[in-house]
Formats: sequence, C-alpha cells, structure tokens
Amino acid sequence: MILAALIMNTQGKPRITKFYDHVSVERQQEILRVVYSVLSSRSGNLCSFVEADDIFGPDTKLVYKHFATLYFVFVIDSAESELGILDLIQVFVETLDRCFKNVCELDIVYNFGKVHTILDEIVMGGQVVETSSAEVMKAVQDIWKLERVGELNPANIRGIGHYKNSRS
Amino acid sequence: MALSGMRGLSVFISDVRNCQNKEQERVRVDKELANIRTRFKNERGLSVYEKKKYVWKMLYIYMLGYDVDFGHMETVQLISAPKYAEKQVGYIVTSCLLNENHDFLRLVINTVRNDIIGRNETFQCLALTMVGNVGGREFSESLAPDVQKLLISNSCRPLVRKKAALCLLRLYRKNPDVVNVDGWSERMVQLLDERDLGVLTAVMSLLVALVANTPHAYWNCVPKCVRTLERLTRGQDIPQEYTYYGIPSPWLQVKTMRVLQYFPKIDDPTIRKSLLDVLQRILLGTDVVKNVNKNNASHAVLFEALALVMHLDADKEMMSQCVVLLGKFISVREPNIRYLGLENMTRILLVADVADSIKKHQSQIITSLKDPDISIRRRSLDLLYGMCDVSNAKDIVEELLQYLTTADFGIREELALKAAILSEKFAPDLSWYVDVILQLIEKAGDFVSDDIWYRVVQFVTNNDDLQVHAAAKALDYLDKPAVHETMVKVSGYILGEYSHLLARRPGCSPRDIFHILNDKFPAVTTPTKALLLSACVKIMMHCQPPDPELVDQVVAVFRRYESSVDAEVQQRAVEFLALARKGTAFVDIMAEMPKFPERQSPLLKKAEDTDGDASEVSATKIRQQQMQQEQNSTALVVADPQPANGGLHPVSVPKTAAPARHSEQAVTSETPQDSKSFPPSQSQAHSNGGTPQQAPGHTPGSASADLLSDLVGPLSLEAPPPVASTSSSDLLALEAPPTPTAAAATPADSLALALLDSAPTQVQPLGNVSEWFKELTLKDSGVLYEDPYVQIGLKAEWRNAQGRIVLFVGNKHTGPLTNVKSSVLPPPHLRMQSAVVPENIPPRAQVQVPVDVACLSASRETAVLEFSFNVGHAPVSVQLKLPTSLNKFLQVAPVSANEFVARWRALGGPPSKLQEVVRGVRPMPLAEMANLFIRLHIGVANGLDPNVNNVVAATTFYSGTAATLCLVRVETDPSDRTQMRLTVASEDPNTTYELKEFIKEQVMDIPFPGQSPQAATVTPATIPLTGPAAALAGLI
Repeated sequence: MILAALIMNTQGKPRITKFYDHVSVERQQEILRVVYSVLSSRSGNLCSFVEADDIFGPDTKLVYKHFATLYFVFVIDSAESELGILDLIQVFVETLDRCFKNVCELDIVYNFGKVHTILDEIVMGGQVVETSSAEVMKAVQDIWKLERVGELNPANIRGIGHYKNSRS
Repeated sequence: MALSGMRGLSVFISDVRNCQNKEQERVRVDKELANIRTRFKNERGLSVYEKKKYVWKMLYIYMLGYDVDFGHMETVQLISAPKYAEKQVGYIVTSCLLNENHDFLRLVINTVRNDIIGRNETFQCLALTMVGNVGGREFSESLAPDVQKLLISNSCRPLVRKKAALCLLRLYRKNPDVVNVDGWSERMVQLLDERDLGVLTAVMSLLVALVANTPHAYWNCVPKCVRTLERLTRGQDIPQEYTYYGIPSPWLQVKTMRVLQYFPKIDDPTIRKSLLDVLQRILLGTDVVKNVNKNNASHAVLFEALALVMHLDADKEMMSQCVVLLGKFISVREPNIRYLGLENMTRILLVADVADSIKKHQSQIITSLKDPDISIRRRSLDLLYGMCDVSNAKDIVEELLQYLTTADFGIREELALKAAILSEKFAPDLSWYVDVILQLIEKAGDFVSDDIWYRVVQFVTNNDDLQVHAAAKALDYLDKPAVHETMVKVSGYILGEYSHLLARRPGCSPRDIFHILNDKFPAVTTPTKALLLSACVKIMMHCQPPDPELVDQVVAVFRRYESSVDAEVQQRAVEFLALARKGTAFVDIMAEMPKFPERQSPLLKKAEDTDGDASEVSATKIRQQQMQQEQNSTALVVADPQPANGGLHPVSVPKTAAPARHSEQAVTSETPQDSKSFPPSQSQAHSNGGTPQQAPGHTPGSASADLLSDLVGPLSLEAPPPVASTSSSDLLALEAPPTPTAAAATPADSLALALLDSAPTQVQPLGNVSEWFKELTLKDSGVLYEDPYVQIGLKAEWRNAQGRIVLFVGNKHTGPLTNVKSSVLPPPHLRMQSAVVPENIPPRAQVQVPVDVACLSASRETAVLEFSFNVGHAPVSVQLKLPTSLNKFLQVAPVSANEFVARWRALGGPPSKLQEVVRGVRPMPLAEMANLFIRLHIGVANGLDPNVNNVVAATTFYSGTAATLCLVRVETDPSDRTQMRLTVASEDPNTTYELKEFIKEQVMDIPFPGQSPQAATVTPATIPLTGPAAALAGLI
C-alpha cells in the first residue's frame, strides 16, 4: 500500500501532502521534517529508496525522485514494488508536465487543487487507480471542463502561468 | 478554472510565499484563519464562490502544517451542493482534512450514497474516490452493495468501475464481512476477464487484499491471473496508452505476479508449467538499456518475477539462474538495481538452498558494504549477516569490524550488534570469539551491551585453555590510553580472575597489573569501581608468597573507598579489608569462580525474537518467516533459557563430588538471615550445607546481592529487566566472585553443583512436546523436540502411501553429544526404515536422519522415535511420537456433486458408512473447521450440501497400492457448536472406522494436561521425560 504521497521542495517546504492513513497534523509535520532531513542529505547518484522504519514503522520505505527544485516522495509498505512506484512517480510527473506545459514548482504551489485532482486519478486509498498518463489526462480534462461550466466570470479567469511572471 | 481563477486564493498564497520567516508566515496564516472563521460565522452573506475559496484556503493552510479545527461543516456541506465545481471541492478537501472517525463524515453518508447510485458518472467518481480514501466502517455497511453493483455493471464506464474496485477494497478493509466469500470468488474470476487494463489493475489490487485474507476461497482466480500475465508478457491486445516505454503495462504485470505470491502454493502442474514458462521468459528477456525509465520498468517486472520464482519454490536450475541474475545486478552501476539485487539476494537465501552460489559473490557484497549510499550499505550488511555461516564467519566478521572504524553513526549500532551475534553464533573457536568481542568493545564500546561482555566472561571461565589468552589480551587493551569503560569492566574482571596465569611473563607481575587497574579508578563509574576493587583483592590473593608492598598498596585502595558514599563500593572495601586479615580462609573465599551452567545467550535470543517479529500478511513474508524459523531451529545455538535456579533443584547438592572449595564457600555463607533473602533452592543448599559459620560482613553481603542484581538487572539492550527470581541468580553468578559473601557465592555455587550433579534426568524439553507433535500433524516441517542440549527438527514429504521424513538432529551444546542412538518403532500398519545416526555429534553441529515410511493400512497409531544421548557422562533418553498420522496418507479428492451423491448412496450403512454424534467438540466456526479439514488433506466440497451448517468433504486414502475414496459429512448445530454429527463412508470398513476416529480426535477439545481421559489419544501436554516408561505411557 502507498501510505503517503508527498511533494516538497528542496528547502523542505511541503507542496502537496496526501496521507492515505490518518495521521495527525503534528505527526505530519514531524514526518515531513524527518523525510526532508533524510532526503536532503542524499546526493544525486544514490539509489531512490530509503528505509523508513523509524518514520513509518517496520517494512516501510521512501521511494523518491528528485526533479529540479522538487522531491516527489511516495511512502510504501512491503506490498508494493519499489521500481513500480518509481514508474508511478514518473507517470505522475509526466502528467503534471502535460497539464502545465513544463511544470515547475510554482505551478504546483498555485494549482495545488489541480494537483490533488490529478493525484486522485492516479492513487486512491493507497492503491493505484491508473497508470496510463493518457487516461489520467483524459479524466482530468473532463473534470476541468465541468468545473468551468457556470463559472465564467471573466474577472476571475487569469491565464495559467501569470504567476510565473509575477514571481516575487 | 477554480484555482487560478480565485484571485483571493492566489493572493494569499503569494503572501505566504513572501513571508521572510516562519513567524511571519504564522501571523499571516492566523490572520487568514481568523478571517475565514468570521466569514463562516455569518454564513448568510457567503456566496458559493467565497465558500469554495475559503475551503481551498483551509486545505492550503492545512498542508502548510497548521491545524484547521473549524470549518469542517462548511466543507462537508459543499458535498451536497448541486453543482459539480462545489461538490468537487467539497469531496477533495473533505478527504484531506477529515478522517474516518470524524462525526461530520457520517452526516454525509446519505448524500454520498445518492451520488453513488445516481446516474451522474462524474458524481459517482467523486464519491467513490472520497469513500476510497477516508470511508470508515459505517460507509462499509451502507455502501458496499452499491459499490459492488457498480464494479460488475456492464453499463458503467471503466473510469467509474476502476474506482469502484478500489473503493470496495477500502470498504473490505474496514469490514471484511461486506464481501461474501462464496459468491464473490466467481465474480472475481469474471472480473479478471476484463479487457480494460485500468479496471484490471484496480481489480488486481482488490484481489490481493481478498487473497491475503482467504487464499483458499480464490483458488479459481489463479488460472486467470496466469493467463493475464501471459497476455501481458506476449504483448497481446495491449492498447497504446498502456504501453509504458515500450513495455505492456509493467504495473499490471507486477501486480499480477504479486497476487500469485499470496497463494500459499500453486500445485496444479499445467498452471505451474505455464506460469514458470512466462517467468522464464521474463528472466531471460530483460536487458539493461540506456533509458532510465524503461530500465526501471523492465526491472520492476523482472524483480517481481524473481520474487514469484522464489515463492513457487521452483527447481534448482531456475533458482540458480536467479542467483546468477542477482549476482549480475549487485555489480551494475545503476544504484536502484544494485539495491534491489542485494535485497533479493537476502530474500532468496531464506527460501532456497543457494548459500553456496551466493558465497561466490562475497567479495562483491563486501564491496557494497563500502558503497557511498547508506541504503545499499544496509542491504549489504543484512545480506552478509544472512549468508554468514561457520565457513565464512571469520572473513565476514573481520570485514564488519574493519568497517566499524569508518562506518557512520547511523549504522554503527546495528553493525556492532550483528558482528557480536555472528561471532557468537559461528565462532570457529572461542579464542577468536574473545578477540572479536574485545576489538568490538575497543571500536564501538558504546554499542556493546552488558550481555556481550558477560558472555565473554562465561566462556573464559568455562574454558581453561582460554584463560591465559584472554588475560593477555585484556592486559593489552587495558594498557592503552583512553579505554572504554566496558573494556575496563571485562578486562578488570578477567585480570582479577586469571592474571596470575601470566605472572611469569615480563610486565605481568601482580604489581604491574595492580598498577594498571589502579590507574583506571578515577575515570570510571561507581559500579565499575566496585568491580575493580574485587579484581584488586583477587590479585592480592593470588600473589603467593604475599608481597608486602603490594598488600600495602591494595589495602591503601580499600582504605580510600572505605568511606565511599556509594554503599556497594564502601561495603566491598570494608569487607575486603577485613578479609585480607583472614589468612587461609581468605584464599578459599577468593577462589576462582566455578564454571557457569550452560545458558542461552541473551543476545542470540534477542536476535531470534526480533527475527520472528513482523506483522506483514503477505504469503511470501509468512513463508520467509517459516523458513527463517526453520533456519533458526537448525541454527545451532547455545540455548538454555531454563531458569537455572528453579529448574534444577539442588537438594542433594553438597553431597556430590564437587570441588571442596565450593562447599566451603557455601558453608561460610550460610546463616539463617541470609537464606531468607534467597530463593528456596539456596536455603535448601544451606540446610544440607553443614555447620553454619559466620563470615565477616555476611549480613550486608546479602543486601549487596540484591543490590547487585539490581545493578546488573537490566541486562539486555533495551529489554525490560528479567523476572527477579530467575535472573538474579544468573546475574549474581557472573558478578559473584567479587563479593566474598554468602549472598554472591551461594547461588552460583549451588547452580554449578546442580549441574554437576544430575543434569540428565532433569533435562526438560523447552516447550510442549505434544503441541509440537500436533502442529506437525498439520504441517510438514517444524520442531519435533528441543531441550537445552539437542534440537530435533523435522521435514517430511508425502506421496500417496509413501513418505520420507528427515530428522535434523542438532547439538546446541558447547560440548559434544556422545553415544547418540535413535531407533524408530513403527506400528504394525507402517513399514519404516531409518538411517543410522552417528554416535557422536560435535558441538553445534547438525546431522540429518532420513526415515522412509510406507503405509499398509489405515490406523491412528503413530510411530515412535526412541532417541538417546549422553551429555558428559549422563544419559538422556526421550521417546517421541513421529507425525506419521493417518492424514499424511490422505489426498484431497475433487468430486463433483453427482459423483458424491452416487457414492454416498452406494455406501449404504455400517460398516462401510459409520455415523456418530461427537460431543465435546472444540467450538469453531464452520470456516475454521473447513480450514482444519483442508490442512488434514480432506478436501471440502463447498456448496455440495444444501444445508449451510454442514460440511461435506472427500479425500483419498492411500495404502500399499490401494487408493480408497473416503467421503465425510459433518452436520453441525449452529446453536451448539460443541457437538456435531460425523458420518464417514468408504469401501473399506477399517478405513472408515479409523478415519472417523481420527477426525474425532482432531475436532475434540484441545486436551490440557490431566484433563479428561479422552485426552489420552492426544498426548498430555507435558510429557514427563524422566523415565522411558513414563514417556511411553504418555505416548500410547
């Protein structure tokens, strides 16, 4: 089972956190801290797996990928395949990339709701729902179409990417 | 769209991002939370748009790590909104913010249900996702049937169905009863025909959970899984969008192979063959390629295939093929592959006999121990630990020690512990062991627990030829600057006891040694000071003729501590001062420590305990554990967890031919005041001990014993202190010599004496022999017998009327077992032939004894193994039932309903068909009874009997060349589970009778020792192994 899906930046700021087993806020923060301190101490050419027994209990692992300023971390138990999860992270990132055209950290910050929608199409209750990036895209685009219906208040619509220019 | 369209939200996010520090962030967040709170209070003025915006803000704040303890109601209310956009926000945020125990969730069960049963697919998806993420028990009860309907519906889109599958999985986890096993297994078979790979992936996940709980109920899914795997590996009918870097849905391939690992065993030859063919293709067809993602995916499949091959217990050739592959992986550049290669090598070691081929990679594995990646180093450490045996222990342990000097902190403790365990378990000789531990203390003293150095002391005390070596080593280490305190303890103790053996060497005079010890006083803690005082007094005593200058110096030390604030140190100083004036009595009291009784290493015990500790349900894991247990059980370990004090009763102790000084020591100690502070065995020793004689300082001595036991009480690494009465004597035994008083000396002595006296007749099994037998009736490998000296493990294979049992006789003891004899006494209906056991079994060695069995007719009698050996000069003999029970010659017989009924009718009545109402049945649910039958190789035919309270089963009994089909019917009364009506039918009246009786025995209440007479059929729980006759009486 996937116990959690986390996206955090290389400064340790959480960008997306999703826990598939109930975890209190304090514990979530502690987990994020420990995970960050573990990952930030690992250099580039090491393997993508870290045993997480101390953080999540016996037989758990962090499977992570590092993209630019972001860590994508999935916490899994021994019922999942490590490399399979790496594939899944890749699918997740490829999908984000398609949605946001060259996804960057800011896309995820300002569109965390969208990212949640995408994640929900890939993982549900700690299990994988869909592994095809194309299928996920289809589902997500349908959802966004629906969201727009009845919400065409031009004042509220701003082009995706405006924040990329207005970065402070 | 909702988010980027929400200006307020973007502004808030920007604000938070612009905060310079955490404090500013908190201020900004608090301001926002206050704002949201006020806005929610005046809900009337709140537009839908605003509500959505605030709820998104709440989620954002929550993700930043702030508790959001309000607004849940508003969030949940959005779920009931009619518009998609609001509903969606409501569902997403609810499943992040709330958990299954939240009261508000219950409020929306109805809304959620309406969305699920409604026609709007997008609503269905939202609802299913939310329930799949946070649904609790209440959701299970009210939604499961609707979700099931969606999953099997033909009219739903795949998008909805795959979510329904995973939603059902969540509901099943919350309440397994929502899936009716009987009906659902057929459904699962149909679902596995699904063509849409998305749905199929989700269905596989569901299947994993179902099979993990009740594997036997889903047997019929196995062929479908194999076919799915074939379809995928052949790339048949795989849509483009499910091809990931050219590989047909690697994820689904992995999942499918994972499912298959949850089935305990796949026996059907055709299925097995096609499965192994597929696996073979995967093993051969995977190459390392440039593209990282493609490489990952193909290796994900490959590693899963390896795991499945291991699970299937494939033939030797395929296993060694796996090892070759793994050997390749552990030396590639790609770290992920290297990591998994090491991990899987450790795993394969547990399930297959491949140790020798893995040893070929030893140097590569040792290289990985120095990998820059700690994840890889850990895997390598685990593997080295797993592959270590007597043949390579020296190399591996020395490698670990070397690594210890440079290892980073995170891994040092584990490393030190593993080195200690391995060196103890596989030491080629004891002097090597002592060297290793001393090195370990020098390099990582902080991680060497007291158990470990106690163990060194025990070995040195018990082995005369080790003492000079140990004393010399101890002196070397102690003479270095900045010595770790543990080193001071162990060296101080050893030098106190044995340094006189070095006296002739240069620089080893008692005076030299005293000076070295004396230098250590200022830097050590109080308990160590006490130990050093004892060492000093011993050195003084050994110095013959007395060296007046040395005496003066030692006495000066005692005087220094005479008024120490620590009671223990003070007491020793005072007592030693007084003793020093005692002349010859002093020499007796200070005599060398007697040998320790054999006892289990606390370290190894702990290692075994943690090995067996896991909570994973996967079949592979369970299998691994079983293998591990088997391994452990054959691992030859010095084990004697028996309470050294309570078990061996030294009533006649002082009469035995113990060295004189022991009894004297005992004598000096014994006074009435003393005895009351000891367990009964000591006072008994006392009463036989002769004239009580007052020893100086005896009264505080007894107190000091307790104190000592407190001091050294918390022995193991972090385990709770052992139970006082048994442990204190253990501990005292170790710490005894320093205290010349009764308290310390007696327990140790009485123990040693008891052992000398008559250990053999008092050898007790380390568990319940009849329980072991019972377990072996139901399975084919496990422990048959174990006592402190010997362990007999058993592995059996049965085919029709033939069988082969292999007994694994292991000597756990540090001395050889001599005069070993075993003979098998077959009952009349069995023909048995057993190999001869070698007369001597060397320490820690194991021999295998194959026994061939052929069954001639049905009988419940079992064969008996007579096993005897000598420990030292004392004979031990046990008689053990061998698990050649009737069910071993049974094989599940699949019969169709028609066939069954026809046969049943044909076998009219007695004596071919016998019926009996059995009372005193152990109450169990029907499923458990069915399970028991399956384990007894009696195949349950589900659904054959229209009455759900009945179990109908069929099996074939093999004897000689005959095969007899036996039919069984059990009628139970749901209102009274303690009785049942049992009918057995077969063509052979004897078989019918015996099988009926056998089933009766198996379903009857588990007998407790001395309970009902019917228990006699199953041996009483603890066989009194005191005499062969008694044992036999218990057996037959």
